Amino acid sequence: MLKRLGLAIFALLASSVVQAQPFRELVTIDLPNDAATLDPHLQWDTDSYAIYRNIFDNLVTRDATGRIVPQIAESWRQVDDTTITFKIRTGVKFHDGTALTAEDVVFSIRRIIDPVLRSPQLSQFDQIASADVTDPTTVTVKTKTPYPALMAQLVKLSIVPKAVVERVGAQAFNLQPVGSGPYKLRTWQRGVSITLDAVPDYWRGRPTFDSANFRVVPDVATRVADLQTGRADIVRQLGPDEAVRLKTDARLQVLSAPTERIGYMFINAMSGPTQDVRVRRAITHAIDRKTLIDALLQGYGNEVDIVLTRANFGYVDGIGGNAYDPAKAKALLREANAVNAPLSFLTSPAYDRRLVEALQQMLQEAGFRVDIQTMDHPTFLRRRQGRPDEAGSISLGRWSCACQDADGVIFPLFRSGSTWAKYANPDFDKEVDAARSVLDEAKRLVHYRRAFEILREDVPGLGLYQDYAIYGARREVRWQPTANEAFFLFDMRWQP
Amino acid sequence: MPRYLVSRLLQAVLTTFGVMTIVFFVMRLSGDPVLLLVPEGATREHIDALRRELGFDQPIWRQYLTFLAGLLRFELGVSVVQRIPAWDILASRIPYTLALAGAALVVAIGLGVPAGVTMAVWRGRWFERPIAALVVAGQSMPTFLTGILMIMLFAVTLRWLPSSGVEGPASVIMPAIALGMLSMSTFARMARIAVVDELGKDYVRAGLARGLSPGKVVARHVLRNASIPVVTIAALEIGNLLAGAIIVETVFAWPGIGQLAIQAIQSRDFLVVQAIVLFVSLVYVVVNLAADLLYASIDPRIRLGSS
Repeated sequence: MLKRLGLAIFALLASSVVQAQPFRELVTIDLPNDAATLDPHLQWDTDSYAIYRNIFDNLVTRDATGRIVPQIAESWRQVDDTTITFKIRTGVKFHDGTALTAEDVVFSIRRIIDPVLRSPQLSQFDQIASADVTDPTTVTVKTKTPYPALMAQLVKLSIVPKAVVERVGAQAFNLQPVGSGPYKLRTWQRGVSITLDAVPDYWRGRPTFDSANFRVVPDVATRVADLQTGRADIVRQLGPDEAVRLKTDARLQVLSAPTERIGYMFINAMSGPTQDVRVRRAITHAIDRKTLIDALLQGYGNEVDIVLTRANFGYVDGIGGNAYDPAKAKALLREANAVNAPLSFLTSPAYDRRLVEALQQMLQEAGFRVDIQTMDHPTFLRRRQGRPDEAGSISLGRWSCACQDADGVIFPLFRSGSTWAKYANPDFDKEVDAARSVLDEAKRLVHYRRAFEILREDVPGLGLYQDYAIYGARREVRWQPTANEAFFLFDMRWQP
Repeated sequence: MPRYLVSRLLQAVLTTFGVMTIVFFVMRLSGDPVLLLVPEGATREHIDALRRELGFDQPIWRQYLTFLAGLLRFELGVSVVQRIPAWDILASRIPYTLALAGAALVVAIGLGVPAGVTMAVWRGRWFERPIAALVVAGQSMPTFLTGILMIMLFAVTLRWLPSSGVEGPASVIMPAIALGMLSMSTFARMARIAVVDELGKDYVRAGLARGLSPGKVVARHVLRNASIPVVTIAALEIGNLLAGAIIVETVFAWPGIGQLAIQAIQSRDFLVVQAIVLFVSLVYVVVNLAADLLYASIDPRIRLGSS
């Protein structure tokens, strides 16, 4: 009590001297799921990293505009096509008081690429060949080949303390993580909540909130009720309909941002009626994106004409070729002798049923016969990634590589030989292969423009909309969500 | 009696074993867990490597034998998603579900049995209809709907109860009512039928003829005799409560095993799903066994094991 009183007096005094940052003692956040792991080198799902990225610092990070900027690395230098050196910041401390060193950075890189850890994130870092301490504040990273997406991937690399991990082991570290971030773990009550406490002498400054309580609330209607009753200050993952409803409440606000996630339609170029490119083009012209976005997403989506969002490197403007034109779609179908062509539309509960049915309707109006096949998500994934004749004619996808680079999107989706691709075109392969092995950004963009021009003609898939991340919050919260769905408490402000 | 007990116990073990076997195979045949564990862009090599690491590349019969061997050592394995023992994950959730199921049972029996007895004893009176309407409503309203409606009314509008979570005893009220409503209707109907049945028997007329008041006849004799079917239903209802908990716990953010089951199934956390099924089937089997044994103490005419 005395401490709290003292704090209040201090805050009062401070505010009279300088324009002090007003902060709340406790912020409560509703997430749809508990963290799967708090070890940042294990699970990479939105709820887990919404929490643990507040506990850890990363090698590099992105600013509000999406630019890659220093964090634990003060600066970096590309030495040659496959070598990059990082200058490591000094004076950063882990929560146990020990200093963060170049050794910890190297340990973190080696740990995540070690197959023994079985990290699900391994494939995002496996282009790294080696990481070494070259002097007390320098780390040298070598890649197997020239790898332009390296920095984008390193945005996700959290630095863990070598000494602690080696002492307690991976299982204990997951339960009691120690990082260098603005918040440290107080309690983890599995399935209930996770409480973090601010680190007052954090190297970037004092965190806004004294502590943060992340609660697990799976049902979106309940998250909204929590916000309305004041049990939660911020809630993650609202749907467009909930966002519209929240806007009527003067005490609350909707915070949203277009993300790097692309809503797209996969079209099977290797099996069934969609093997005919005219049929695939007909699908393109049968779909009215604007209606989908306005009516079903309540405007929480941006139209795209390629399978990539503006938030990704490699986005090119003006590819076109996919205008809504039902007459043209019908003509193409007649030309291909495929009127009433049966399309099997594979889907799972992971996809919005209304979107699936709206697309079915549009396609049927253009002269297709669409058969929706619903299955559980693992079965859906198995068929979608399996043999072409099992993958159905069309399906939806919501793709994010968490790297904001075209290489993480159209390479796995359409490069021949990838598990997702049901399409093969050596010209396309050549462009995306080239774009992943040169470092020059202008040259990469040229390759991606050509790659997207090829996709426009071949249509093995088509972009529908850029997805939004939607949060609900109390009026007093000042925060701009970002394209990579990061949830940094440190970037939030409280303004009564 | 001991012979009966032994054979019932053997049956219980066989039932549990059968359930586990079915779940083991259904889980593995319905999809590839590795695809859910890797990020979307993972290459085929990584998917294969992870599959080998986790042992999913083994023939299914060998995976099954490994699983059985683990069970014999009382090991449920380490969750591939959360990387901690599946039993630890399950154990942390059990108290919440027990508390919720217990509270729901109190709601179900506490409202259901008096409602049923009232409807039976005062058949045809004016208040039988509103009670019957309530019972039918409890039976026909889907749980997720009652849940959301209660949250809107009692949490958002009236501000009497917390909208979610587990903070204090007030938190359990709404989930317990939502979960107990369905069972309440079953108890009411069963109690009504049983009491009506008993009221038509000779001993009731005899009792009344001897000058006992109707209230005494019901309280002393009818209720005792009518309670056997109700006890059977109670045992079955505990199973229904565990199933209903899946929805109720999700709506009210109640961190029990129902919510855990949903999360584990969604993330294909095999070992956790198996642990949950094992636990739930054990509860079911044990409760039914207990109900059978309870009959004997309620009605001494039932001699267990005598043919």
